[in-house]
Amino acid sequence: MSNKLIDLVNISKTYDSNTVLDDLNLYIRENEFLTLLGPSGCGKTTTLRILGGFETPDSGKVIFDGQDITNLPPNKRQLNTVFQKYALFSHMSIAENIAFGLKIKHKSKKYIDDKIKYALKLVNLDGYENRTPESLSGGQQQRIAIARAIVNEPKVLLLDEPLGALDLKLRQDMQYELIRLKNELGITFIYVTHDQEEALTMSDTIVVMNQGYIQQIGTPETIYNEPENAFVADFIGESNILPGIMVEDRLVNILGAPFQCVDEGFGHNTPVDVVIRPEDVDLVKPEEGTIRGIVTHLIFKGVHYEMEVTANNYQWLVHSTDMFPVGTEVGIRVIPFDIQIMNKPLSEDEEAVNIEE
Amino acid sequence: MKNAAKKIYLGLILILLYAPIVTLIVLSFNSSKTRSKWGGFTLSWYRSLFDNEAIMNAFYTTLIIALLSAFIATIIGTAACIGMQVMRKRSRSLFLSIANIPMVNAEIVTAVSLMLIFIAIRMNMGFHTILISHITFNIPYVILSVMPKLRQTNRSTYEAAMDLGASPMHAFFRVVFPDILPGVLSGFLLAFTMSLDDFVITHFTKGPGIDTLSTKIYTEVRKGIKPEIYALSTLLFVTVLLLLILVNYQPEKKASPVKKTITTGFRIRTAMVRRVLPALLIVVVIAGGVYYSSQGVLNSDNTVIVYNWGEYLDPDVLDEFTEETGIEVIYEEFETNEIMYPKVNSGAIAYDVVIPSDYMIQRMIENDLLAEIDFDHIPNLKNIDPTYMEQSRQFDPENKYSLPYCWGTVGILYNKTMVEEPIDSWSVLWDERYKDNILMQDSVRDAFCVALKYLGYSLNSTDLDELTAARNLLIEQKPLVQAYVVDQVRDKMIGNEAAIGVIYSGEAIYTQRENPDLEYVIPKEGSNIWIDSMVIPKNAEHKENAEKFIDFLCRPEIALKNFDYITYSTPNAAARALIEDEDIRNSVIAFPESDQLTDCETYSFLGDDVDRIYNELWNQVKSK
Repeated sequence: MSNKLIDLVNISKTYDSNTVLDDLNLYIRENEFLTLLGPSGCGKTTTLRILGGFETPDSGKVIFDGQDITNLPPNKRQLNTVFQKYALFSHMSIAENIAFGLKIKHKSKKYIDDKIKYALKLVNLDGYENRTPESLSGGQQQRIAIARAIVNEPKVLLLDEPLGALDLKLRQDMQYELIRLKNELGITFIYVTHDQEEALTMSDTIVVMNQGYIQQIGTPETIYNEPENAFVADFIGESNILPGIMVEDRLVNILGAPFQCVDEGFGHNTPVDVVIRPEDVDLVKPEEGTIRGIVTHLIFKGVHYEMEVTANNYQWLVHSTDMFPVGTEVGIRVIPFDIQIMNKPLSEDEEAVNIEE
Repeated sequence: MKNAAKKIYLGLILILLYAPIVTLIVLSFNSSKTRSKWGGFTLSWYRSLFDNEAIMNAFYTTLIIALLSAFIATIIGTAACIGMQVMRKRSRSLFLSIANIPMVNAEIVTAVSLMLIFIAIRMNMGFHTILISHITFNIPYVILSVMPKLRQTNRSTYEAAMDLGASPMHAFFRVVFPDILPGVLSGFLLAFTMSLDDFVITHFTKGPGIDTLSTKIYTEVRKGIKPEIYALSTLLFVTVLLLLILVNYQPEKKASPVKKTITTGFRIRTAMVRRVLPALLIVVVIAGGVYYSSQGVLNSDNTVIVYNWGEYLDPDVLDEFTEETGIEVIYEEFETNEIMYPKVNSGAIAYDVVIPSDYMIQRMIENDLLAEIDFDHIPNLKNIDPTYMEQSRQFDPENKYSLPYCWGTVGILYNKTMVEEPIDSWSVLWDERYKDNILMQDSVRDAFCVALKYLGYSLNSTDLDELTAARNLLIEQKPLVQAYVVDQVRDKMIGNEAAIGVIYSGEAIYTQRENPDLEYVIPKEGSNIWIDSMVIPKNAEHKENAEKFIDFLCRPEIALKNFDYITYSTPNAAARALIEDEDIRNSVIAFPESDQLTDCETYSFLGDDVDRIYNELWNQVKSK
């Protein structure tokens, strides 16, 4: 992969007595599409605002391209932001909005006109130069906000929940649009969202945050398939998080029943958390399963059925294309590869994990 | 039916609200000087308004102060809003409430506190103290109209501008300011109108020799408001109306349907921000600077600060005095003795010459506010008729503190064509034949003066039995009286609306000129004689100049000039001899024989307790 472009070193930030970020460390590579993902109040927006220069950390440094920019004001930074509420200048035309940054840099009129044309074409809004922002739809306004940011040729584009105010269909369209834009422009995107699906769809790297701590950094696949702790597992998609005891390598005891798994190195008889995704739970005949249970709920979801199975005093969430009516006795089986073992939280860092629930 | 009722009700409300103003506007075009007669359409009041230097100066001062104070208050207020916007919620609402208090505070409290602070920090009263005061009371109004606009703005537009490379200043002026501009403009206009018509605060913080329109108009109350003032008030009303329309028009524009492309109105607004506002700023600042530097320097040693009734001295006299002596006159006017007194008493301005009335001089002597006049420095004292020095002993027993300037009597004005025999007694006011043709003065002392004198008592009586008898007499008279009025006696008598009225002699000469059928008499039972005299306050800083000024006013030709201007009787015998018009020189109205004055008394200051009794009894009369 390419070089480090941004390095956040030991960043802490406190409002009143409320710690928003605690000793956060994170680096971002050139050309990366990095997403900060987490519930509201997790510190993701504060992190973005520190990058944009709208907030100064209480301690720690922001290194950009080898330079310490911690105390550099926003107007001196080589990055641009797309704000959640578009933040278009309502008393200016679309063209004037896009030209705003270029005029400050005293670019020639020709250059500015070309850039406006190019940017509008890029966001598929040719010919909108003389419209006012309020005459545009939400999605169009958001695209203008992006156009206004990218004409300045920033090395990094910061996006603060840019699709949050759009409806579902538009949001999905814009997701593809953003991926296309990033590929055409070849610059770094740092994206903030609380929507895990958005994060999974677009990102190269996802940073899952909670309560001011980074919970896990990884590709969408790693984050989904190998959550490092119960918070990540719970936040990304749906999951069954069960208490278990790691009897020995590759054998875990879940709710009193032995399951084969692929994890090693947890020691003997260690208490652990076990994550099993609902689609990984196989429902079979009672006698064929590792444990037995009774179906208590059944909902048709389109691609699959969602069922709840009570087994060994635990409500298992199950997604399956096969349907078992309520009241049916079933057996539960999970193949070893689909069982994800995690350490119980020990340190203060990890304790933060469960509070949010 | 319901609809018609609705319309009638609406019409009634409109009439109630606007009838007075319409009357004023109509009268400003009335060529007759009296309010009761329509003498045809004229623009002459407007013409003479613009020719009246004193009024136009006051108008200019008012405008400059309104513009400057509104402008500065707008800047300070807007900046304060921006500061408050980034505060935490608790401190912001606290600060906002504190900023709002001055608005609900009684104006008089604000005015007096401002005056006190200027005295405390020893700041001389003048243009700058008015300006500072106006800025002070205008700031909350600006905050009131800017703050909601600022709260509505999206903070991220400001951040977006910075993000795109704008410096904080550029971001504010380019992005935030256009958003809050309607609020800023309406704040400015609100402040402008508030400043334009402020009287109370201006009155207490102004220095000598400077007047705004409201204070100028008020000083003219004693001599009756002139039609020029109607014209001016009409112009002011129209101006304020236009401004209000402008203020209310702004937000409406915002609410209009969304426009697809940039409209011309939008362009105009942008142009306004870029060009008109800075231009206005420059004009206002330059005008303010020029005006301010043109103001006389208060501390120059060769001045005399004079505090006199409104319209109570020919302005040319001041110029002549300065020309001859090189002493600059700083001239300020008051409207009633009661308003003059606290200003002199507070010591905010060290007046050199004041011209109050008899009873007030008595009070000032009692409170040790006056300096003894060195009459050796006033050779022209010889021109003053000794009768008036003698009369002055009623309030200045040793003739040490005061020198008569103007005087007059209270008497009966009657219309010769409407009464059957010559009138010489107060008794006519109780004559059934003149029922509904009698006008009484609507003031305690004057009303009781009439009754007490008719009964043969002193008009300064403090005897409860005498006062009760006077009250009963006044109650008995009530069914006969057409109206209790002050200024309107003059107009109604000129307009033949009443046969008999109680009036001041000074007004009598004027009314006789307008309506030759009118005759004035001092009833044989005696009446009130009032004397306005020149005094020098104890804290005067230019006593020598003050004495020069008083001596100057006692010169025959100067006293004559003032007599012509004021038309109130002069105590200056030498001046009377110079009057060319024989009718006036020998007028018994202006110069009654001294035996006519033997039963006349000046009012004395009776003390707060007796004052209260008079007021109580007068209330009983009025409420019967």
